[in-house]
Amino acid sequence: MSHDAHHAPVASKLELAPERSDLGLYRPDRTRGLLDWLTTVDHKKIGVLYGAFAMLYFLIGGLEALAIRTQLARPDQTFVTARMYNQLFTMHGTTMIFLGVMPLSAAFFNFLVPLQIGARDVAFPRLNAFSLWAFVFGAFVLNASWLFEFGHLAGWFDGFAWHQALTYTDFAPANGWFSYAPLSGTFGQANAALQAPRFTGVGTDFWIIGIQILGVASLAASFNFICTIINMRAKGMTMMRLPVFTWMTLVTSFLIILAFPAITVALIELMFDRQFGANFFNPSAGGQPVLWQHLFWIFGHPEVYILVLPAMGIVSEILPTFSGKALFGYPIIVFSGAVIGFLGFAVWSHHMFTTGLGPVPTAAFALLTMAIAVPTGVKIFNWLGTIWGGRIRFTPPMVLALGFIWMFMCGGFSGVMHSAAPADSQQQDSYFVIAHFHYVLLGGVLLGLMAGLYFWFPKIFGRMPNATVAYVASGLVILGFNLAFGPMHYLGLAGQPRRTHTYHAGNGWEDWNFVATVGAFILGIGVFMAFANLVYTAFKGPKCSSDPWDGRTLEWSLPSPVPEYNFAQSPVVSARDAFTEHKHGTKRIAYEADGGEAGVHMPSQSWMPMLAAGGFLFIGFGMPMMAMGIPHAGWIVVSGVAVLFAGIWFWALEGPGGYMLKTPAVSPTPAGTPAASTSAH
Amino acid sequence: MFSRLLSRLGLFAAPLFALVAAGCSKADLTVRQSTLDPKGPVAQMQYDVFMDTVWLVVVLFVLVGGLLVYAVVRFRSRPGETAAPIVEEGHGNPLVEIGLITASIGALVFIAVPTLSAIWYTDDVPAESVPKSKLSAWYGQPLDKAVAEQVLEIDVIGKQWWFRFEYPQLGLTNDAKHSVPNEMVIPKGVAVRINLRSEDVIHSFWIPKIAGKVDLMPGRKNRMWIQADQVGHYYGQCAEFCGDSHAYMLFRVEVLEPADFAKWVAAQKADAAPVAAGSKAEQGKNLFAAKSCVMCHNVGGHFGAGAFGPDLTHLASRKSLAGAWLDNRDPKAQRALEQTSPLGTEASVPVDRATFKANLIKWIGSSGIAAGADGQPTKDVKPGNRMHYYKMFNVAGLRETHQKLTADELDALAEYLLTLK
Repeated sequence: MSHDAHHAPVASKLELAPERSDLGLYRPDRTRGLLDWLTTVDHKKIGVLYGAFAMLYFLIGGLEALAIRTQLARPDQTFVTARMYNQLFTMHGTTMIFLGVMPLSAAFFNFLVPLQIGARDVAFPRLNAFSLWAFVFGAFVLNASWLFEFGHLAGWFDGFAWHQALTYTDFAPANGWFSYAPLSGTFGQANAALQAPRFTGVGTDFWIIGIQILGVASLAASFNFICTIINMRAKGMTMMRLPVFTWMTLVTSFLIILAFPAITVALIELMFDRQFGANFFNPSAGGQPVLWQHLFWIFGHPEVYILVLPAMGIVSEILPTFSGKALFGYPIIVFSGAVIGFLGFAVWSHHMFTTGLGPVPTAAFALLTMAIAVPTGVKIFNWLGTIWGGRIRFTPPMVLALGFIWMFMCGGFSGVMHSAAPADSQQQDSYFVIAHFHYVLLGGVLLGLMAGLYFWFPKIFGRMPNATVAYVASGLVILGFNLAFGPMHYLGLAGQPRRTHTYHAGNGWEDWNFVATVGAFILGIGVFMAFANLVYTAFKGPKCSSDPWDGRTLEWSLPSPVPEYNFAQSPVVSARDAFTEHKHGTKRIAYEADGGEAGVHMPSQSWMPMLAAGGFLFIGFGMPMMAMGIPHAGWIVVSGVAVLFAGIWFWALEGPGGYMLKTPAVSPTPAGTPAASTSAH
Repeated sequence: MFSRLLSRLGLFAAPLFALVAAGCSKADLTVRQSTLDPKGPVAQMQYDVFMDTVWLVVVLFVLVGGLLVYAVVRFRSRPGETAAPIVEEGHGNPLVEIGLITASIGALVFIAVPTLSAIWYTDDVPAESVPKSKLSAWYGQPLDKAVAEQVLEIDVIGKQWWFRFEYPQLGLTNDAKHSVPNEMVIPKGVAVRINLRSEDVIHSFWIPKIAGKVDLMPGRKNRMWIQADQVGHYYGQCAEFCGDSHAYMLFRVEVLEPADFAKWVAAQKADAAPVAAGSKAEQGKNLFAAKSCVMCHNVGGHFGAGAFGPDLTHLASRKSLAGAWLDNRDPKAQRALEQTSPLGTEASVPVDRATFKANLIKWIGSSGIAAGADGQPTKDVKPGNRMHYYKMFNVAGLRETHQKLTADELDALAEYLLTLK
């Protein structure tokens, strides 16, 4: 087929003539079903895939949490072994942070950012697909360590020489999500094969390479979103008219590209220590274990804000919508988000108050940590200002958003308590800390993300989740959450340390641990109900209008589900909260004269992002297999690098492609007119 | 709507308040490792700072939380109101914003000042505490003047998964074959400087009632200071994740009157008494050598080769075993004493011989290296510990067969160890 064929606009991509790329391969543009999802470059489909995988890993991480709580329900329990417990809390933390919250945030970034800024896709659609598949394969590598672990426990490997030669036989990581060297590293001197003795088994190697791959995915996605937000805003969408969620996406993306290099360097150093005889963190060879902590936390603390800021953005969209009132102090909310991001890089050592920093650095980091409470407080005050004087409509997303403010406030308060370093020396590594960050990350972030799911689900699928089930699920989540984590404040102050797989009776911890376990199960049921409700809605839920909440931003002006070209004509906005102004105010959304029969340009689908990311699958399995001592495993790594480069090479050579898609006839007003939206209530 | 809303709020709030109320009973605040029951100036200072943050947070919680609840109730939409939203470009109110930011900073100063003073106070022994040291009296003979006026120092060495305590000024060190494993002893009312070191991974030294934690970093020397103002038996625990058996890495601190402390130092330097010829204990002593226990463990006066494992010279006087995970006291008697004694959880009954022996058999017999009392290997007490997993840290080039013990041999070994008072 000639190269010019795609210039003829079509109404549906299925009508396209088969087209060859510059490599001579057929482009997968005309696919449907599974092949369409695997090769898609549509930001909305990628967002849905991110969300689906994130919810899957939330459930896996949740099951790990329930196993942990079952073990701790009573003193001296033997539900799991010490090592299995260590593996469970390592994978629970890693899964929830890197495979749960971050991809769920990425799902919102993907789906919403182009819609909110009036764009037709992200800046680099294929890079976006690459981010997704790198995440999927990295997550798989990390969790495949469980398969090796079960194979080991079942005795499948017993006959192999490499298995008999192993000193440590943990195959799933047991080093904690923080992976402190030298426990995660080496000691003594390396032998002629550049192998030094270690404290943990190949689980740590799975962890290192898994996080490394996930870092690539996050970095690629962040560059993409920064380019998208800076360059692809619709006419009139100035920076100070950006919806707050998009603003927070921008700040988060900058945090990722500044924070992930630190962990990348640290992981490479740790990998070289373990596999190639380097001594970065090996104290017996002059290495510095505390260096790992600095590198980890200068990533790890901004990471907290990487997790929190998107949820803050979501809540900043939901509160004005259901208060019927613009966000109070928009410039200050945006500015405080940026200040949080900036200060987030200046407080990392508050995770290290007990490492013997000395009084001057301890004092400096204590004061900076207190300082970061100010912009966080500003956000809470402004949310309060937003609902103040409004007309609050109670809907599932609004209830969850109000729950977010409440829980996040509690988590922030215990955070302020930690900033007092002398008090923190009693709280550090105790259950008090667990209570604190679960109030922030679960009471805060998870409630915020659930609010976002219930808020935008009607936009994503055009179907409305069942409100009663949503209320019951939210109630169970909030109740179970407080039952599980409220008592942990007490347990920590009563001296129970974290990361201990059991405890004796007689310390006064028995009753509250049992209560916490009961709460954890209630919480688990609530989250499962909330997710099940969403999954059911995606397939069978009742259809709803395109603007069921009387939304304020551009995405609500589009039909639900959103057509693949997003905007039939590019919007021209003249106000913040453009759609509210359009419906109820004076400044209406105008439209550019594009689209229609001439069509809009759509990017071609491609196998190459997935192929390139597939290289990570080989690298991800090859590196730990090398560490296991499996013969010739190094060639798996080499072939993985080859696949990665081949994928990128073909990706570059296949040419951009693209086709023209017709959009509906030019109309003077967008889909969701005021009349349509008010009748929805 | 309003009543439904209230009942919804009540549904969440009621169990929370019940929890908080139930959590505030006196007994719960004085449990063994409570940080809310300080028994020395360092823990007291940390507790005071903590309470400052508590008051600040409670006030803010009532203010902001109250406003939030008020706003949600007051500004809920009522039936019949127009659905049309208020249209305005919300810039907020600069005066309100700046006022709130200033108030926030003021609130933080309220905790910043005590925080800073406590950081320096807890960093090292205050100058006024130094003259109270009576090193010569504890040492048993006059020390060099330069040493005699120092503050008492204890080296804490962390290993997977136990603590070793050394008193270099008093001659109680591993090199002198007089180190003290797992149960640190300090005199009452005297400042002690603690030097923290690790021989493998990172550990953390935490005695909640006496002081908050400081980490033991391999390759670095950290320090802290402590002082206990009440005699008794205190409980501590490693607080940094350090591998498989992290949960089993406990320790104890015995606080004695200074005069008793001097006696204890003298007793630590004494060698073990000879065992009676032909006794079961003598059989055990021979096994101790034959089964290569001697390669790692020191028994003053009997065997002097071992430096890797805990010093066993005074094993039978210790109230705990296996990194303080196994308690050598009668649990019922101990619980009863804690209920009645004015010392509370710091009261301690003496060692119970039967419990101790059962612990020894359980501990040495674990991991399939030896048979338990019933001839079967007992369950692993501390997975990964170096006594069994010689494969990982082939300390003395041992072979597994050299360490196998029968139930009878194990009994004899326990009998021998119980003579080491």
